[in-house]
Amino acid sequence: MSENPTTHTPIAVGDGAAIPHKSDAGLFTAWRIAFFGSILLCLFLAFGRPDQYLAIFKFIPDGILVTFKVTVGGILLAIVFGLIAGLGRISSNRLINGAASLYVEIIRGVPLLVQLFYIYYALGRFVKIPDIVSAIIAMAFCYGAYMAEIFRAGIQSIPKGQMEAALSLGMSRRQAMRQVILPQAFKVVLPPIGNEFIALLKDSSLVSILAVADLLRRGREYASESFNYFETYTVIALVYLIMTLFFSKLISMMEERLNEGR
Amino acid sequence: MNVLRTLIVAAAMLAAMSLTALAAPKSIKVATDATWPPMEMVDANKQIVGYDIDFLNAVAKEAGVSVEFKNTAWDGIFAGLDSGQYDAIISSVTITDERKAKYDFTDAYTSIGQILVVPKTDKSSKTIADLKGKKVGSQIGTTGAMEVKKVAGVESKTYDEIGLAFEDMAAGRISGVVCDEPVAAHFALQKKEYKEKFKIVGKAFTKEGYGIVVKKGNKELVALLNKGIKAVKAKNLDTKIHTKWVK
Repeated sequence: MSENPTTHTPIAVGDGAAIPHKSDAGLFTAWRIAFFGSILLCLFLAFGRPDQYLAIFKFIPDGILVTFKVTVGGILLAIVFGLIAGLGRISSNRLINGAASLYVEIIRGVPLLVQLFYIYYALGRFVKIPDIVSAIIAMAFCYGAYMAEIFRAGIQSIPKGQMEAALSLGMSRRQAMRQVILPQAFKVVLPPIGNEFIALLKDSSLVSILAVADLLRRGREYASESFNYFETYTVIALVYLIMTLFFSKLISMMEERLNEGR
Repeated sequence: MNVLRTLIVAAAMLAAMSLTALAAPKSIKVATDATWPPMEMVDANKQIVGYDIDFLNAVAKEAGVSVEFKNTAWDGIFAGLDSGQYDAIISSVTITDERKAKYDFTDAYTSIGQILVVPKTDKSSKTIADLKGKKVGSQIGTTGAMEVKKVAGVESKTYDEIGLAFEDMAAGRISGVVCDEPVAAHFALQKKEYKEKFKIVGKAFTKEGYGIVVKKGNKELVALLNKGIKAVKAKNLDTKIHTKWVK
């Protein structure tokens, strides 16, 4: 692993928030303005207009926690699904390859909202699992398909010579994959996984339709009883924005750290 | 001479047009969340039907207006009234002080109460308070949801549609559902999928009146609708509609 592969194919997957790069000064400024601006706006609304806004901020914290749980649980499980399906997609075993491809094709062809309804209520028919777990499974099942494509592209982006070299050193294919290819592929897939994480964070708002008490649902509950629609959704949008901006920054920092190690 | 004649004809036409405009019945757009059987629902022909629909049509006939219904999700139905997408809401809306502060209501046209539905396997629960430590479902933003939240120790779970709450109870994710009496009766006593599984416990524990909602300050429409409601009640039409839909 002393060889530094410099010709990674860039992977063009992702619809997450733009992850700021160090070199991108313009983006970086925009990030700062948006992030600190929305925090300041939240503080201003909570303490400057407490009669309208403070109650909203008091109502939503448990929703933020649920959104966070669904997102983190969803992404971790999606990575597991994605890795398995991604390896399946490059497998030379036709059965495994076919099954993995079928999974990816089906999931990518059905809208996430439909999948959520389907998995949530279909699971409910057969097994008794808590709502939040169903939501996480549904999210992970969907994102796993996209993740599989990322892993497949990431693994395929590692030059063939790496595998050949590992095999000629006497490693088994499995060993080579685990110890040579995957560690390198991980660096390649990290940015797109970061993108998926941000996208999943935003899409997690869809679980509010399943009566999971996430951030958006808490906001809707508040608005539907107080009728302060404008104020409520202003706060909800700001909180989502702060969360996505925070995590996109975190991910870009992780990426830089990894690149330094090269 | 010719010019004069043209002018007269034009004037006569204008007068005729304005007269027909005045005589034409005024049309009002009314929102309803058609997921609340038997009060308002979508039938097999994709038509919005139910108690409220028949009732408002009768009221409109008495008041001399025509009605156009608009199926709108409950969560946000009031926001649509704010932004002027429709003139009124008839959707089993209970008249409450909180709502009265923001919107205007007609006189109450029927009275109902909240009631608890539990699985048949639950032999002991009589009230929401008996479900402490468990989850109880209701539709978001309804008086049912407000009642559940009042009971300390019960976890409130809100749904976009009451049907989803019943389905979640059938899946065993929640231990009770609170909603309006007629709706509870529809799901727990009539729907064949649920009839065997659910039961209504006790009697309605609130006293509520449904009203038609209009934008704050729209006195003209409230007066018009109240006139219609009075006429419908005087003719006893509401009893007929009640027996048709509520069993």
